[in-house]
Amino acid sequence: MEQGRTIVIDPVTRIEGHAKITLHLNEHGRVEDARFHVTQFRGFEKLCEGRPFTEMPSLMARICGICPVSHLIASAKACDALLAVRIPPTADKLRRIFGLAQVVQSHALSLFYLASPDLLLGMDADPAKANLFGVFEKNPQLARDGIRLRQFGQQIIELLGGKRIHPAWVVPGGVSEPLTEARRDAILATLPEALQIAERTMEWYKTTTESLRGEIASFGNFPTLFMAIVKENNGLTFYDGKLRIVDPSGNVAVSALDPSRYWEYIGEKVEPWSYLKSTYYKPKGYPDGVYRVGPLARLNAADRCGTPRADQELAEFHEIQRTAVLSSFHYHHARLVEILYCIERMEQLLNDPEILSKHVRAFARPNALEGVGACEAPRGTLFHHYKIDEQGLIRWANLVIATGHNAVAMNKSILQVAKHYVHGDKLTPGMLNRVEAVIRTYDPCLSCSTHAAGLMLLHVQLMNAAGDVVDEVRR
Amino acid sequence: MGMSKILIICYGNPLRSDDGLGWRAAEELAHSLHSPSIEIVTCFQLTPELADSVHSTDLVFFIDASRDGEPGELSFSSVIPTTATTFPHYLSPPAVLALAQQLYGNVPPAFLASVCGECFELGEKLSPKVAAGLPRLITLITYAAQRLAR
Repeated sequence: MEQGRTIVIDPVTRIEGHAKITLHLNEHGRVEDARFHVTQFRGFEKLCEGRPFTEMPSLMARICGICPVSHLIASAKACDALLAVRIPPTADKLRRIFGLAQVVQSHALSLFYLASPDLLLGMDADPAKANLFGVFEKNPQLARDGIRLRQFGQQIIELLGGKRIHPAWVVPGGVSEPLTEARRDAILATLPEALQIAERTMEWYKTTTESLRGEIASFGNFPTLFMAIVKENNGLTFYDGKLRIVDPSGNVAVSALDPSRYWEYIGEKVEPWSYLKSTYYKPKGYPDGVYRVGPLARLNAADRCGTPRADQELAEFHEIQRTAVLSSFHYHHARLVEILYCIERMEQLLNDPEILSKHVRAFARPNALEGVGACEAPRGTLFHHYKIDEQGLIRWANLVIATGHNAVAMNKSILQVAKHYVHGDKLTPGMLNRVEAVIRTYDPCLSCSTHAAGLMLLHVQLMNAAGDVVDEVRR
Repeated sequence: MGMSKILIICYGNPLRSDDGLGWRAAEELAHSLHSPSIEIVTCFQLTPELADSVHSTDLVFFIDASRDGEPGELSFSSVIPTTATTFPHYLSPPAVLALAQQLYGNVPPAFLASVCGECFELGEKLSPKVAAGLPRLITLITYAAQRLAR
């Protein structure tokens, strides 16, 4: 009898960070199991112990070079809870704009830089062409738009926070500097072009994905719960609100959960084969309590966006399926709806007469020894939870990140795609690219703020149960 | 005739000892160059968005620590557009130029100035040999930029 074998995809390309995928084959060469291994270790929860809590926003922003603003916001909100202050209304609005700008640049990176080669050139495209240069050759406008839209988000972050990456403008109690009229006007002047790009990209996306029905049907297309923070009116938000969980049929399973008591309903499981903690909905246990977060979950959970164009697109999005929209392929579509929302919402907030107020920070000494901050990062719900001592030094910290919420669903998605496309006796780049592409739909962020010296190339090994390499692909 | 626009892109990781050369150079150049036609940008990595800035300028200098050569050794070379590096998170100087050329049909002359690093471990200080090479790099870029910005 032939022995069972394992296919290893290491590293996974075009994602944020370092990971590998193993596909476990049975004796008939059929995929039996799949695992998404996060192979990098950051250890931020331990290294911050003993530091003054006021340093936490700046320290935590260093976790990631793509979404530092989300860590900054969640951390500052946890510190607000330690101070037990209500931050000034203008600071609240400025933080929201900051977060929205980050969502635009992060979603632009995911959609244009990482995923668009798959969408535009096809899953079987030459890996050497699956990049922005290849996108330019086929659709120059799309490549230009991707670069411009990401730059748009980064410029707003720089105008507000002083620098594009790791800005320290968000502080416990609010923000460190008010917005000037000149900067407000500079941001407002960029919005029309950004909206045009978002509209043009949405139109392109809808026609392009017509040819990817097979992938839509098999890319993480299964029932799970969906979780997101929503506003009081159950509208889309990235900053503040209550948690809502929607079941696969699209019905609200639980609502108005308090994010500051997340541990009562969210469990964290450590698997021996990954540094990524897998979370689950406690009432259903592990792994049955699988749920998804991020753009797909937010749109499944939200009843409305609250801005005109995004609301039109949300209505259309909800028509994709009578139930909740289940296929993870639709994360891409959801990102585009959210980009529209972010641009429209920034305009609303920037035109608020209160936005130029100089009162942007509340000051206090610590008034609580424990605090939780939560927000919606581009990839999903983010929790920062700190405990301090009487001197204000961090004694314990826990971070629950979006990619952890999606860990179980990502494993299931890889398994579904691998069962559909991978057969153990033959390795093809297109087959393996689909396995990676389903991961890209989630846009997992495994932290890439380090200055890597090497290149991330795809290395696939086919091994038998004895560990002997029987086939190998490099690209 | 107006002054030439010059873009100086200083990149690297300031928390990785000698890899912070670009950031240190940016601080020094900000003191030695005051022309409104000269823009100094710092970043951790070269990303595709830089193509947009590059295409609308007349001359580009890239400044980074290198791994090739003797520690402290200064090198200066022209950069030719090439698409050899295609990873979306970070590009090489030739790839940034190639992207600018493809996307916008224009690529200015560009040069890469480097000092070979010795230590890339965690740390905020340059190693003695790289610190000794930094003034020569600053003199070189300042001289070239001032002449060309006229």
